[in-house]
Amino acid sequence: MLDNLQLGFETAVTPENLLFCLLGVVLGTVIGVMPGLGSATGVAILLPVTLTLEPVTALIMLAGIYYGSQYGASTSSILISTPGDSSSVVLTLDGYQMARKGRAGAALAISALSSFVAAILSLIGLMALAQPIADWALNFGPPENLAIIMLGLATIVSFAGENVLRGITMAAVGLLISMVGVAAGFSTARFTFGSINLLGGLSFVAVMIGIFAIGEVLHQIRRGGEAPIKAGFRDLLVTRKELRRSAAPALRGTGLGFLVGVLPGAGATLATFMSYGVEKQVSKHKDEIGKGAPEGVAGPEAANNAAANASFIPTLALGIPGSGTTAILLGAFVIFGLQPGPLLFEQQPDLVWGLLVSFFFGNLILLALNLPLAPVFAQILRIPYSYLYPMVIFVSMVGAFALGNNTFTMWVVFVAGLLGYFMKRFNFPAAPLVLGLVLGPLLERALVQTSAMGDGNLFIVFQRPLSGTLMVVALLAISAPLIGSLLRRRTARKERTTIDA
Amino acid sequence: MTAQETEHQATRPRPETSDVVGTVILGVVGAVAVVMGLGYGFTVEGGQVGPGFLPVLTGGFIVVAAVLELIRMFFASSSPIEGSFMETVENVEEEARAAIEEVYSGAEAPEAAAGEELDTFGRTQRQRSTAMVKIFALILAALLLIPVLGLLISLSAMTLALLIFVERRPWLTSLLATLGALAFFYLVFVQGLRVPLPTGMLGII
Repeated sequence: MLDNLQLGFETAVTPENLLFCLLGVVLGTVIGVMPGLGSATGVAILLPVTLTLEPVTALIMLAGIYYGSQYGASTSSILISTPGDSSSVVLTLDGYQMARKGRAGAALAISALSSFVAAILSLIGLMALAQPIADWALNFGPPENLAIIMLGLATIVSFAGENVLRGITMAAVGLLISMVGVAAGFSTARFTFGSINLLGGLSFVAVMIGIFAIGEVLHQIRRGGEAPIKAGFRDLLVTRKELRRSAAPALRGTGLGFLVGVLPGAGATLATFMSYGVEKQVSKHKDEIGKGAPEGVAGPEAANNAAANASFIPTLALGIPGSGTTAILLGAFVIFGLQPGPLLFEQQPDLVWGLLVSFFFGNLILLALNLPLAPVFAQILRIPYSYLYPMVIFVSMVGAFALGNNTFTMWVVFVAGLLGYFMKRFNFPAAPLVLGLVLGPLLERALVQTSAMGDGNLFIVFQRPLSGTLMVVALLAISAPLIGSLLRRRTARKERTTIDA
Repeated sequence: MTAQETEHQATRPRPETSDVVGTVILGVVGAVAVVMGLGYGFTVEGGQVGPGFLPVLTGGFIVVAAVLELIRMFFASSSPIEGSFMETVENVEEEARAAIEEVYSGAEAPEAAAGEELDTFGRTQRQRSTAMVKIFALILAALLLIPVLGLLISLSAMTLALLIFVERRPWLTSLLATLGALAFFYLVFVQGLRVPLPTGMLGII
């Protein structure tokens, strides 16, 4: 562990890497502050810009954009009640209420401080757990890999929220999209409809740029414009009382966020909602929550950042992304010719540990930037959206060209943009689709290898102790919500008949 | 609880047309995947997984899920998983959504048919929807013009058109913003990253 840390420091503390870490977190904060531009969009549109950098430098910058935007997104939630990212939706409740009471500065400070505490604690957890999990996963054969991927898909399903069926269907659509072209191990071209361009498959990052940068950003226009800043910055300082009230929720949020973030497929947004729910149950000031209580800012903010860091554990150690944005980062790894997973820790320890150590510096920079400069970043909110989104389309399209060096990639972005827009408009969730898209090729490879191992019998997955256990857990995760709702419905019906009688 | 639930069923809302259409489209996509997947070969010799295996399974799954979803929409009670631990999450989500809508005081709420209410750009819901059509049409036009004008010029033209015709910004600021973007992206991608952007028939940049 200590050797690894030292190696990480040596990689992270070069002037170049520190510079790109700073650039990443500043860009991340700016992107996060802008309503409608979230971490997924930011990483997707800036990924093409990093293509000429050293892989480790590029990944340090992209990761910086990811966790930097978590800080920025809170600013717009608190100040204008417009979440910069889905993971800061909850802050529009207490954060905005605090701002309306003239405590905008305090809310921003609590959000920055609890983000920082959560980020550092979860980073320690990430560093402690990633290597053992990677070592453990080194012994995985194809059936275990298959089982882990199934578990990842199952988590998406059970956390799909509002509509389980719709979430799982979108994951399946993502899988289908990933099958376009000639798959590794087969010679058959699938779903190409005679197009030569489709033979190599759809560029995963191009689909992401389309869905997030074009689809989601344009959807913001349909929602209408941004509300003007109503909050003042009179009281910038947090009171000691507010800090004391924030401590316990921040720690609870960190723990909760970490647990949710570690699960492949469940993301930061879910963690923030759960943390808010928990604070409403256990807080000493539960009556004030929703009316501008510091607890309602500290808890979800901590959960958000802890989950974002924790989602790197399955991403790096197993190669299975924990969230939509880490899915795009996984795409970045692949573009740089790296395969995240247990082998990465053996083959590229300097890269993995350099990246993790850079999180520490990134979060320090973010704290230093956000505490005094939040009002400055808030000025970004004055950029009219009507100037912003044409630039986003512009850079997305140029970036798409840079990705594939051909105009076909731009068409992929266009079509994916249409798809993303309609998905967003009619409430079809994007995150499961993204995860399905990333997991598709991995799932197929594991399937083919498992089938080769068992001479066509896929049930060997259940015959090996580890893969069998994982599969049973996956099946339970899928069926539990459905069975649970059936049981409840039956009890409800029984109650009704007794009352009727 | 019970009374509430009875009421739920009595006033079961008719499913949204968009939900039905979207789900039917998904079902059709799934069915096509199954048919095409069978053509690729479900298994290869020795009963091992073939190139059509995953397409058939995934497609079949989508068909089943779409049918179940349609059944749920038309026949089941309106809330799918009551009392589950996800309910807390959904309640919080709902609360936040309501709070945001309150701030926008009706200017947003896309599904609520906001009538003639204006957003902060002073546009009605209908104007916003036509704006969407215009935006996608302009992107399409820009992509089609790349072989003629070159990539940077055609995207700049798109940006200018978006600012002037869709956003109705003053033409001078629009032009300056477009030129600024053009210069910036030229410096970053062509000079900095050395991406060989297509220059089209004009061959300028």
